[in-house]
Amino acid sequence: MKRFRSGLAGFLAAIAVAGTSGAAVAGKSNDTLVYASDSEPENVSPYHNNLREGVIIARHVFDNLIYRDPKTGKYAPQLATNWKWVDTTTLDLTIRSGVTFHNGDPLTADDVVFTLNYVVNPDSKVITKQNVNWIKSAEKIGNDGVRIHLAGPFPAAIEYLAGPIPIYPEKYFKKVGLDGFAKAPIGSGPYKVTAVTPGKGVTMEKNTNYWKGSPLGQPSIGKLVFRVIPDAETRLAELMTGGVDWIWRVSKDQATQLKSAPNITVLSAETMRVGFLQFNAVGSSPAAVPFKDVRVRQAVAYAIDRKSMRDNLVGGGARIMNSACFIDQFGCTDDGVPRYDYNPAKAKELLKEAGYPNGFKTELYAYREREYAEAVIGYLRAVGIDAHLNYLKYAAMRDAHRAGKTPITFQTWGSFSVADASAFTGVWFKGDADDSSHDAEVQKLLKNADTSVDTEERLKTYQQALKMIAEKAYLFPLFSYPANYAFTNDLAFTGESDELPRFYAAHWK
Amino acid sequence: MLSFTSQRLLVAFSVALTVSIVAFVLLHLSGDLATAIAGPEATVAQVAEIRHQFGLDRPITAQYFDWLWHALHFDFGNSFYYRDTVVSLVVSRLPVTLTLGAISLALSLVVAVPLGVLAAVYSDTIIDRLALGFCVLGQAVPTFCLGLVLIIVFAVQLRWLPVSGTASWKNYILPSIALGWYAVPAVMRLSRNGMLEVLSSDYIRTARAKGLQPSVVILKHALRNAIIPVVALAAVQFGFMLGGSIVIEAVFNMQGLGYLAWEAIARNDFPVVQAVVLILAVIYVALTFLADVANAFLDPRIRLA
Amino acid sequence: MNVTAPAGTDAATDALREAAAARPTLRTAFLRRSLRHSGLVIGSVTLLVIVAVALAAPLLAPHDPYAQDLAHRLIPPIWQANGTWDHVLGTDKLGRDYLTRLMYGARISLLIGALTVLISGTIGTSLGICAGYFGGRVDSVLSYIVTTRLALPVVLVALASAALVGSSLEGVIVVLGLLLWDRFAVVTRSSTQQIARTDYVAAARAIGCSTPRILVSEILPNILSALIVVATLEMAHAILLEAALSFLGLGVQPPLPSWGLMISEGKQYMFFSPWVIGVPAAALVCLVLAINLVGDGLRDVTAPENRG
Repeated sequence: MKRFRSGLAGFLAAIAVAGTSGAAVAGKSNDTLVYASDSEPENVSPYHNNLREGVIIARHVFDNLIYRDPKTGKYAPQLATNWKWVDTTTLDLTIRSGVTFHNGDPLTADDVVFTLNYVVNPDSKVITKQNVNWIKSAEKIGNDGVRIHLAGPFPAAIEYLAGPIPIYPEKYFKKVGLDGFAKAPIGSGPYKVTAVTPGKGVTMEKNTNYWKGSPLGQPSIGKLVFRVIPDAETRLAELMTGGVDWIWRVSKDQATQLKSAPNITVLSAETMRVGFLQFNAVGSSPAAVPFKDVRVRQAVAYAIDRKSMRDNLVGGGARIMNSACFIDQFGCTDDGVPRYDYNPAKAKELLKEAGYPNGFKTELYAYREREYAEAVIGYLRAVGIDAHLNYLKYAAMRDAHRAGKTPITFQTWGSFSVADASAFTGVWFKGDADDSSHDAEVQKLLKNADTSVDTEERLKTYQQALKMIAEKAYLFPLFSYPANYAFTNDLAFTGESDELPRFYAAHWK
Repeated sequence: MLSFTSQRLLVAFSVALTVSIVAFVLLHLSGDLATAIAGPEATVAQVAEIRHQFGLDRPITAQYFDWLWHALHFDFGNSFYYRDTVVSLVVSRLPVTLTLGAISLALSLVVAVPLGVLAAVYSDTIIDRLALGFCVLGQAVPTFCLGLVLIIVFAVQLRWLPVSGTASWKNYILPSIALGWYAVPAVMRLSRNGMLEVLSSDYIRTARAKGLQPSVVILKHALRNAIIPVVALAAVQFGFMLGGSIVIEAVFNMQGLGYLAWEAIARNDFPVVQAVVLILAVIYVALTFLADVANAFLDPRIRLA
Repeated sequence: MNVTAPAGTDAATDALREAAAARPTLRTAFLRRSLRHSGLVIGSVTLLVIVAVALAAPLLAPHDPYAQDLAHRLIPPIWQANGTWDHVLGTDKLGRDYLTRLMYGARISLLIGALTVLISGTIGTSLGICAGYFGGRVDSVLSYIVTTRLALPVVLVALASAALVGSSLEGVIVVLGLLLWDRFAVVTRSSTQQIARTDYVAAARAIGCSTPRILVSEILPNILSALIVVATLEMAHAILLEAALSFLGLGVQPPLPSWGLMISEGKQYMFFSPWVIGVPAAALVCLVLAINLVGDGLRDVTAPENRG
């Protein structure tokens, strides 16, 4: 009954809200930047979602230990004033004093130790395991020192600390638990969350007490509103009518058309995101059985005209990828990696060899850029593979994929903006939930590459692994994604190649 | 009257119970619940533990009554996707859908009843034909198409109204037109037929014979009687609108109940779907019950039939 | 007057009254009335054209509906500046010929309409005949089932079921067929009640005809005209629902050329190239309008005094 009564109170309150007018409008006039995107993180706790929208919130609400300059790629102190390798598996950091969380609690070495130990604990059910599983544990040394024990040698550690590892407030988190944190997260970053509304989005406010001297700089815009608008057309219409100030993932066609619209700036930049087809090479569902055969996977690769897709559908600064990573990541190379240039005749031949002269029926799963997936289906059809599209929300697709139900998945991966090949291969090939090839040899090579302290050795091993992945066609890389941003002319905004919009650095003109 | 009411109440109650079984089955057909609750990375042992913990290893009937008992206490469990209870999600979304439904219904009545009356008064004239033609055409336009046209014209071209969301009362205007449109033909036909019937009745003829003004006859005497069936239909249409608002909410990105259900379906979040189906059905049952009783109250012939 | 009974009930009873009249004159009178009913004529002609195009799509269509050509995407239709006669209605986002897809899409819409009505008609008619003929408890059970069915929100249940069985053409047909039988049941029931009371049914019973035989050979033929009226309206309903499901992404799946799907995919271009969405939307409205005109027209000519 109590539940009902509180529910009723909430209901009445919600009716009252629905009835009132004069809601926040976007724009310079009231210092509120409304940005819209298609998907919504299931949980705004940065370790409990793997959506880009979640990464954006994480970078605005939390601080990292180390800062990586997107322009130069150089590391700089953020929460850690300095760091030092004790040996290949031990890293010492000194934590800055004088930083406070949004609720006024000081940020100390204890919070760092708590965060790192929390995220490696299996009970925490962290979704972004590949970002943290190189850590074994953390301990406090002295007053403001933190020592990280690594699970093994991991030269890319600094890159990860500068990316997807935000620091949580120990006291607050322990008080409210993960469920409470999901509704009202608290960090130390340039913006503080004022409301999380499932289905609608997140509102944030400038942290006026943001610590001086942060490499992120001081935030300028007063309020940020993240609105979830799944529909690309609705986002576009909202931008054109001033309902939102900033959108992205504008398709090539829309970007071209928008350039003629007044008051709107269109910005295109290549990103680290790579689109690719992932095959269920273990054949764990009936429709996936053909993909156990390497010739079938290669046939799919030969069947698709990536160049035409890039030129006509994707546009922007997109590049065709041949390796299972983003080409500018450390360790990523396509030297000596086999290419699959468009060759439908060869695809048909391979299918015939594999025992499918008349092709077969299968299913393709996708969650964004539906027209790319449909173009792939069109190409497959031309060589006799009758693929039906299952277009799902990301979480549903991810679950189906992790359960081994998907024969082909159209995936995209932005590597959490980590400029190291391990952030890509580690997710898709190291035997974790998203690995659908489970090749022991590849896993071994990657393990060696990830943990090798010798740079030359690392590069060489990555190349071997990437070559093997391409030869066996476990994953067929398509192209990198351009980010097409469109925003109001009132806004001064610059896009970075790591696909991380930095609203804390934006300002009104 | 009392026996009529109690009989209808019994029917309403058993229908609600049947719907609850349908909703329950829907959830259980959606896949293995223990696996869904445990999450994609759970081990076999963890799944088994959850199966036991949530009582999913018991006979299906025991699970049903258990679920029903909780549902009666407004407890539909937790969403698989959001870290929230189903009830609090539903409670936060219901006002949007109710507001949308109410405005749509009001709009459609305001348009359809006068149109129906006009068509009846001028029956078999060009007015009647135009009104009927409008209805036939109206029925042929899918609501989502109408919604998109409204967005293009009134939001993007003319900039009179907002495109999407639920931020202010202005956001409700376009979706209400699109949703209300759907009910106009039915209401119009009914008020036209009701009006025709009443106009040909004896007492109207008497009133006319007494030399009363035609407008007085129509508005004061005829309309009052012709409107009775419309009231009942309106209740039913309101129920349909709540169920049909899913399409409109999707087009206008309104975070109502339908939108919640749509997203939940796409995310395999079936506890939410189940709760929304049940709630919409119960609202419909309640509305038709009230309409039946009100009708019987107004028109004694019904409760005797 | 029964308020909640769907439209069509009155038409049904009147159709029966006419069925009792002399048959030969009925047919000529029916034809004459049909030809004078402009809505019926327009509707039938449009519907016939659409059906003919759908059936002859492989012969008429200028291209393969699935042949994509990314280098020739979004060519505008002929009436626009850059239109070409090779693609009269232009091409879609993957360079597939729009006219061809529209023609094949008619097949999908009609197939869904026809098969859904076949399933729902069978269910609804069987239930309705039994309830109307046997009355009493059977009748109460039916009205209870119908009430339950009406209480379920159609779009939502259809979406959820489509998601459960996997969204596909077959899935959509079965789901809609299992959901849209209520009006059939209501209309059949009241028509059957009328006929069950007539003399020739009593006569058939008296000479010892079995109940199934009476139901099939005496009652069914006599409620047929009422059934056809309901079938047309439900067909239109099913086509609209399929479009809505496809629009919401849980109906027919790509690359099938369903009109609902074409509208949904054309949405991306609605602000700058409205024809991409306008063409399939216009086709859909024409089809539904034609079917509704035929349905309304048939109701009018079988029961002229009950127009509306």
